[in-house]
Amino acid sequence: MRSTLDFGPRVLEHLLVTEAQAGLDNSDATFVRAAQQGDTEAFGQLYRRYARMVHGILLGRVRHVEVEDLVQEVFLRALPRVRELRDTSRFGSWLAAIARNLAVDHYRRSQIRPERPDDVCDPDEQPAKFNVSSNRKAAEVLECIRSLPDAYRETLILRLVEGMTGPEIAAKTGLSPGSVRVNLHRGMNQLRQKLAHGELRDAGVSKNRIVA
Amino acid sequence: MTERYKEQTGHDEYLWQGSGEPEAEIQRLEQALEEFRATSLVPPAFPIVDCAPRRSSWWRTITSSTWVLRFSAATLILAAFIIALVVSWREPTSPRGNNGWSVELAEAQADNSLTAGKPKRKIRMQIGEAFETNRISRANVAVADIGRLELEPMTRLRLLQSTAGRKRIALDHGTIHVVIWAPPGEFVVDTPSAVAVDLGCMYTLKTEENGNGLLRTTLGWVGFQRNGHESFIPAGAAAATYARSGPGLPFFEDTSEMFRSAVSQFDTAKEGSAQRVAAQQVMLREARPRDELTLWHLLSRVSEFDRQAVYERLSALIPPPANTTREGILRLDRTMLDSWWNALDLGDIGLWRHWERSWTGHEAQQK
Repeated sequence: MRSTLDFGPRVLEHLLVTEAQAGLDNSDATFVRAAQQGDTEAFGQLYRRYARMVHGILLGRVRHVEVEDLVQEVFLRALPRVRELRDTSRFGSWLAAIARNLAVDHYRRSQIRPERPDDVCDPDEQPAKFNVSSNRKAAEVLECIRSLPDAYRETLILRLVEGMTGPEIAAKTGLSPGSVRVNLHRGMNQLRQKLAHGELRDAGVSKNRIVA
Repeated sequence: MTERYKEQTGHDEYLWQGSGEPEAEIQRLEQALEEFRATSLVPPAFPIVDCAPRRSSWWRTITSSTWVLRFSAATLILAAFIIALVVSWREPTSPRGNNGWSVELAEAQADNSLTAGKPKRKIRMQIGEAFETNRISRANVAVADIGRLELEPMTRLRLLQSTAGRKRIALDHGTIHVVIWAPPGEFVVDTPSAVAVDLGCMYTLKTEENGNGLLRTTLGWVGFQRNGHESFIPAGAAAATYARSGPGLPFFEDTSEMFRSAVSQFDTAKEGSAQRVAAQQVMLREARPRDELTLWHLLSRVSEFDRQAVYERLSALIPPPANTTREGILRLDRTMLDSWWNALDLGDIGLWRHWERSWTGHEAQQK
């Protein structure tokens, strides 16, 4: 049963485009409010805007091959509950929490540890496609990032893997720009130390420089 | 340029913005990791979900609005206050001050209903005295001038204190229905397994002979406490209490049967046992947004390892406030936990902390 919208999704899309052209509100909150009214088109827009963030969060916790499916599962979990979100401006942090929660559930189902102990960088759990030498290096770097503390791991993956900027990470996850900046900086320092301590076994790495 | 200087002043533009002078090391990492990047940003075909307000139920419509609920609660409190005034005017003999409480004894109805039979006799209960109803009697007690208690058959209570700012009884066993219009924290009930503190203003408390009990709140909220172990029970919720372990997890009574059973199992299973872990997993899986009440309490009752999962689940239901951190919550920082509680919008925890300070002072005075 369709929700009680005063206008259909196509009309809504038109309105949003018009608003954007007029420099009016085209914020996530607009899409969230529409999604709360049952508009799946608006929810699709939110997917386009947030899928990369969700992908990054999951990549820090579960195996790469499983991430794409889980991204969709996060949004499918969020869809029926979006109406319960009281503060629409916190959609990003709310979605991030769902993603982290799903990763925990997934871990319980698969009995694979989502968090790795510090100082362990083992790429062997990566899928077969990373057996090629250059891919192996990448997998090893990723494993090193995943061995970092939560806050650093997540922020670094969003920056280095997903290509998001610091301000974008802050805006999407709901963290303060200052926290993101500190996490990036300290996370990067810890990553350098791990790489420099020879935890990356490939000869292409020397001191604190990686040759990809 | 030191690392700290960079961190504080922001001389890391490429890492931060992806712009400015590129750092070769970071560029190489980006290139190496690019293959893990999300490739498809095209949304799947989402199912159409009925998100419209459920107008078929007038109750759901009413309760879906926080403001309507607040207005209703305020109206009920006002009504209770007016009724109390009327009752006190009509009963000039009702006790004022600290010279014991008036007790009206009546025969119980056959159906054991709340409306007691015709008053049989009136007595006064003095401080230190106990009062007990038998199988066929009920009683109404005027709690000084701040409220009323109704005792069901087979209930025994003792009057411990009746001073300005503090009224305190002990419920040894049986069931009492409480209506209080005093400021939060003034009326306190000791039970064998916990202390119940009225935070305004209507609830039912039952205590078994073995010391276990149950508290159900109708209006306002009630705090349950023993040795620093605390549970908050808002209107519509209940919590058991156990002679062995003190207050259990509170839960909303409209929760699923499975969730409710898991709460009970968690409360009664041995700490660290498989049953307790299983119950905890069921709660995390079955929790609805409204069950954030239970999950908030669960945070401080599980091991540090399990707390992470509870944190994640609760965060998904209600994001933690900006003035909290994950690390702080995981180490059970009280200020942060209190802040998160207030975000649940179930009652201002400041009232409880105020009572707690006064209570500690009161106990210290007694020693």
